Amino acid sequence: MESNFHNLVMGISVSMQPYHFLMAMVGLVLGVIVGVLPGLGGANGVAILIPLTVAMEPISGIILLASIYWGALYGGSITSILFNIPGEPWSVATTFDGYPLAKKGKAGKALVLSFFSHFVGAVLGVIMLSFFAPIIAEFALKFGPAEIFSVMVLTFSAFVGLGGKDPVKTLISIFFGFILAAVGMDIVTGQLRMTFGSINLMGGFNFIVAVIGLFGLGEIFLTVEEGLKLESTAGGRVTFKDMAWGIKEIAHEWKSLLLGAVIGCWMGLKPGGATPASFMAYGFAKQGHKKSAEFGNGASAGIIAPEAAAHGAGTSAALPMVTLGIPGSPTMAVIMGGLMIFGLLPGPMLFKEHANFVWGFIGSCWIGNILGLFVVLAFAPLFAAILKIRFAIIMPIIVYVCAIGAYAVNNRMIDVYYMIIFGVLGYLFKKLDYPLAPMVLALVLGDMAESALRQALLISSGNPIVLFRPPIALPIMIVAIIIFFWPTISGIIRKRRTSVGPG
Amino acid sequence: MRKANLGVAIFLFLIGAIVMFDAVRLGWRWDPGFGPGAGYLPFYLALGILIGTSVIIIKQVRQLVKEGAGDKPLIEEGGLKPILWVLVPSAVMVVLVSVVGLHFAAFLFLLFYMRVVGKIGWLECILVSVLIPVAMYITFDRLFLIPLPDGMIGPYLKLPF
Repeated sequence: MESNFHNLVMGISVSMQPYHFLMAMVGLVLGVIVGVLPGLGGANGVAILIPLTVAMEPISGIILLASIYWGALYGGSITSILFNIPGEPWSVATTFDGYPLAKKGKAGKALVLSFFSHFVGAVLGVIMLSFFAPIIAEFALKFGPAEIFSVMVLTFSAFVGLGGKDPVKTLISIFFGFILAAVGMDIVTGQLRMTFGSINLMGGFNFIVAVIGLFGLGEIFLTVEEGLKLESTAGGRVTFKDMAWGIKEIAHEWKSLLLGAVIGCWMGLKPGGATPASFMAYGFAKQGHKKSAEFGNGASAGIIAPEAAAHGAGTSAALPMVTLGIPGSPTMAVIMGGLMIFGLLPGPMLFKEHANFVWGFIGSCWIGNILGLFVVLAFAPLFAAILKIRFAIIMPIIVYVCAIGAYAVNNRMIDVYYMIIFGVLGYLFKKLDYPLAPMVLALVLGDMAESALRQALLISSGNPIVLFRPPIALPIMIVAIIIFFWPTISGIIRKRRTSVGPG
Repeated sequence: MRKANLGVAIFLFLIGAIVMFDAVRLGWRWDPGFGPGAGYLPFYLALGILIGTSVIIIKQVRQLVKEGAGDKPLIEEGGLKPILWVLVPSAVMVVLVSVVGLHFAAFLFLLFYMRVVGKIGWLECILVSVLIPVAMYITFDRLFLIPLPDGMIGPYLKLPF
């Protein structure tokens, strides 16, 4: 414990070095811009910048990439509150109460509430990351291939059982992602798979390209279809009076705040990410609140709960990524992809072999999120002013930047063509309610999952029962199966209760 | 929406079929001397896709027969035009890259979209569509030394510094 605290202090001091501090600042500003702009999200914002970080030291690179995520988490709410359009998927729930409050002339107050809640969610997430990451990593060192595979099964069954989408479509999404990952050279036998003699397919599909297409272009198609109208109610200036009010109000609504932050941290641990967390927190806060009738008309708790949840989920998503190599949100998946490009394989060994790096990253999570609060509080009007630029100017620039990002991943032109195809696919999938996050995660984890499965089967000479071996894999698999069938199970429980209950 | 749902499901079904075909070629069975073949996992993935999409196809066809094409169209009314206005120029830009290089193609794309679709004044259009690619060129090609595609006339368009 003592040494972990020592490590944390060291990590924070690493991230306080002037150059790293600068990287965090650049990342945050870029991140808030990415977050403010509808159609440009955290996941593809990070994806586009990965090529730029390749030449950097790994620790500087990861600080830059992670800071973009923190910035995007903060920034999404600015658009939601001032323009009634979510800048990011995770700030949809903020529009419900944030915009009505802004319309009443309290835009500054709404922003303060949102930023402070983000901050509290972030701090809770980072505390969890700092204290549990070493423990989980230590435990995960005992994992063999069967255990790693079982954790992945748990991950994907969480999408099916708790994702809230059509389970069949979720499964198809997962399988499709794994298939895309399998295209190209097989890492075990060296055979070419599903290339059909095409040299272009030999390189396989890079998930960064997929992310830029699915989340970047796909989102742009959705945005132009709806015909974006940006009408601001206020400039977004935040005064000290607003801040004082905000602190009082948050202290008053501490229950919603805590509820949101806890839901967020829980949702970040199991892959689902910030978006479902914010909706869930909003629902729970509304249910349990004394003044639930005020929700939708600018209730403070209606801003506090989802915002704290979104940022809590965003930060705690780093925990499974660092310790198990399984990212807790799509954006974290992209950041993990960045790590893999640096030649660092996230997972328990990372703590042993690159302790400096891991603790530097955790330290930067502290610094980045604290710094982020000051950035958005001070410069919210500046970022809001970006949205005054007409979308007909911003949109083609986004497409251009996406194309650069897709090309620069591997310096291949074919990737840019893929990006356009993935864009159309992303639009169709979004419209038809196929979830994109599990597909991206499957594409990232594909090779790892497959080699874990094959190694485990080799150990048992083909007996699949090895995947259920006690003491670790068995309980994980049981939990995975329960979660997979959770919608059915909870339905049965509810039926029992109503039939046994009063009446 | 139902027809689109059906179409996408059929598309994914075909992909599943192709993958299964290839997995069988690669060897999906357990090889006693070697272990799982290269097609081992893809086979089961393809099987999963085939079963999943079949469920959707059957459900959609049933509903299609019973209730017709259904409630909402895939693309909202008046939504297709703005999408195509983005998709087609983007695709043209991407194709042009191999001829004139990425930055010059982007210049044309920016100018076209802002002027024709956005109906923005000439001055603003030209300023933005020149300055942004130049800024990108300096950032990526010069500062970070990531060479972006030049195309055929690219070498003549290089900045003199």
